[in-house]
Amino acid sequence: MKLKKISLWLTALVCLLGLFAVFAPSGQVQAADNSLQRVKDKGTLVMGTSPDYPPYEFITKVNGKNQVVGMDVDVAHKIAKDLGVKLVIKQMDFDSLLVALETHKVDMVLSAMTPTEERKQSVDFSQVYYDAGQAIIVRKQDLHLYKDKNSFAGKQVGVQTGSLQQDLAKKQMKKSHLKALTKVTDLILSLETNKIDGIVAEDAVAQAYVANDTRLAKIDAKFDLGGDENGTAIAFAKNSGTLVNAVNHSIDQIKQQKLTKQYINNAGKYMATNTENKSMFNYWSYFAKGVGYTLLITAISVVIGIILGTMFALGRMSRKAILHYPAVWYIEFVRGTPLMIQVMFVYFGVGLLWNNIPAFFAGVVAVALNSAAYVAEYIRGGIDSVPVGQVEAARSLGMSQRDTMQTIVLPQAIKIIWPSLGNEFISLIKESSIVSIIGVTDLIYQLRAVQAATYRGVAPIAVAMVLYFIMTFTLSRILNHAERKMQHG
Amino acid sequence: MAEMLKVENLKKAFGKNEVLTGIDGVVNSGQVIVVIGPSGGGKSTFLRCLNLLETPTSGKIAFEGQDLTQLPEKKLDDIREKMGMVFQSFNLFSNMNVMDNLTLAPKRVKGEDEAQAQKKALELLERVGLAEKKDAFPESLSGGQQQRVAIARALAMDPDVMLFDEPTSALDPEMVGEVLKVMQDLAHSGMTMVVVTHEMGFARQVADEVWFMDGGDIAEKGTPEQIFEHPQNERTKDFLSRILAQ
Repeated sequence: MKLKKISLWLTALVCLLGLFAVFAPSGQVQAADNSLQRVKDKGTLVMGTSPDYPPYEFITKVNGKNQVVGMDVDVAHKIAKDLGVKLVIKQMDFDSLLVALETHKVDMVLSAMTPTEERKQSVDFSQVYYDAGQAIIVRKQDLHLYKDKNSFAGKQVGVQTGSLQQDLAKKQMKKSHLKALTKVTDLILSLETNKIDGIVAEDAVAQAYVANDTRLAKIDAKFDLGGDENGTAIAFAKNSGTLVNAVNHSIDQIKQQKLTKQYINNAGKYMATNTENKSMFNYWSYFAKGVGYTLLITAISVVIGIILGTMFALGRMSRKAILHYPAVWYIEFVRGTPLMIQVMFVYFGVGLLWNNIPAFFAGVVAVALNSAAYVAEYIRGGIDSVPVGQVEAARSLGMSQRDTMQTIVLPQAIKIIWPSLGNEFISLIKESSIVSIIGVTDLIYQLRAVQAATYRGVAPIAVAMVLYFIMTFTLSRILNHAERKMQHG
Repeated sequence: MAEMLKVENLKKAFGKNEVLTGIDGVVNSGQVIVVIGPSGGGKSTFLRCLNLLETPTSGKIAFEGQDLTQLPEKKLDDIREKMGMVFQSFNLFSNMNVMDNLTLAPKRVKGEDEAQAQKKALELLERVGLAEKKDAFPESLSGGQQQRVAIARALAMDPDVMLFDEPTSALDPEMVGEVLKVMQDLAHSGMTMVVVTHEMGFARQVADEVWFMDGGDIAEKGTPEQIFEHPQNERTKDFLSRILAQ
């Protein structure tokens, strides 16, 4: 009993140490500034952005292919050209952008980001390259009710999570109820369905939405803005002085040549083509790609989940402490933490050790490892429910433990757990949607993209919902069929 | 007669509960030993120790001259192959039909080929009167039929000794006869058998030696006649009087 307790604590300790080992490198980032040299050496400039913010950045179809476009992209292209390197665009949620900088997943962030004091503490900023005012988007029929930010006392006001607008509203619209959402498209949807009464947004963004949706209008917010707390700048990891200087040089040119005006016009053209045909059919390729990725992630995760799950189940049932406790801890830990955090941990945390971990790979790994823990418990339950007499009969015939497991126990266990396994696969189709937060282009991600591209809120959601249902319903039919086959066989 | 099994001072405890307190006994080749005694007296545990399904706490079990308690797990598989076992609850592999139940171990353990294993299986099924059930699944068979298949399955490994752990206790009364008949035939064919049972009739007619177990040891050993007609030990007398009073 005592020995058992000690080994329990030991495994807990080993797990903790493992976690520290993963985190340790983050303390040693402060090295000499070679940021510019590094970009030049690898020949690529990686830009992180959250393309749901027209006209700054959004997705459109160019020659039949989905592409991130917008003013920020044009600025980034100009910078890359000046540096003589190739521009690579990485898409992710706005919330994840600064983490991506710190973990060196991207070299810079252009996502209509304002250089606030809080942000300056964790990242470096270039000079401001564009300076638009702040506006509040409202329903057109309510336009007469509002004058400026002070008209919203007691009203529901939407802001994007982690944005400058959220800070401003918090400080200067104290009488309003704030509602923060990750996506501007969701905010627009909330506004149109009367859940909120206004959205604080960059003037350029507000302009884009108002121009593309006759139900919307905008007013000037009239915030008191500090000198720096305005306009948009490019964010870099700390200690990137050489890279920042080089980029500031490009921004000087952009300002002198008044290029931003041209960039915004470009963006407007893309937005016009996007909104020419807002029918969902026009965007079938977005959804098809999303369905493809969702199914691919699920399929790979299921296969890995079953293989690893079986190993963990056998480990957990082993009498050897060295197999038993790691399996127990793994299963308990994974089942005791949200999948969302696991996905972020694999992408950003493990990314510290392996810099170029592709988002798709990280997403699949996280979902598969998560699924393995659940499958392990199903399999253990299945194995436990095979009568012990079956094993004794096999062993009494001289069959080895391994042979017995393979020919008697596992086949019977699988028959027992088939329905639970089926449920796990079906829920994987749905739960895998969480990988969209790190920019894996699954169905949820594509739904966002279509929302941003068409300025339509509900229709893409409905389409995605139906698609999810078709996938899960088809799979459940197939599994039922297999179950019936198995019962007769 | 050659010694097949020799048990010396065999003890088994589950935690603090001592189930076997020191068993000694010899089973000779060709002998039929029937173990009787009250429930909870350690009969089944004793039998399950013989092929190491239970690991004894101490003592020696010599099978054909080898001390099983000293053998590693891998070697034990080779030993168990030669000791057929029949269980109270049949334990036919529920994921396989009758034929596969009989051929699985010969193929996997002895490396017999499919045709060879099937031929032998069919002969054994003839012998227990169930050849026509070869494609049936266990769940579709009656208890008596399942137990006869289980006996055939054990015999398919060509064991040197057969262990029976209360083979008729889970059967409806009308099916007990068919199973006992198969066991009787087996005894007549010269098979060495150790049978734990409550069937006193079978013990009287078939046993070469009857062992009376109570409280974790063997209280008395003897021919059926000695045990049933002239029991010496008080516990034996007490047990038999209660059985016969029923």
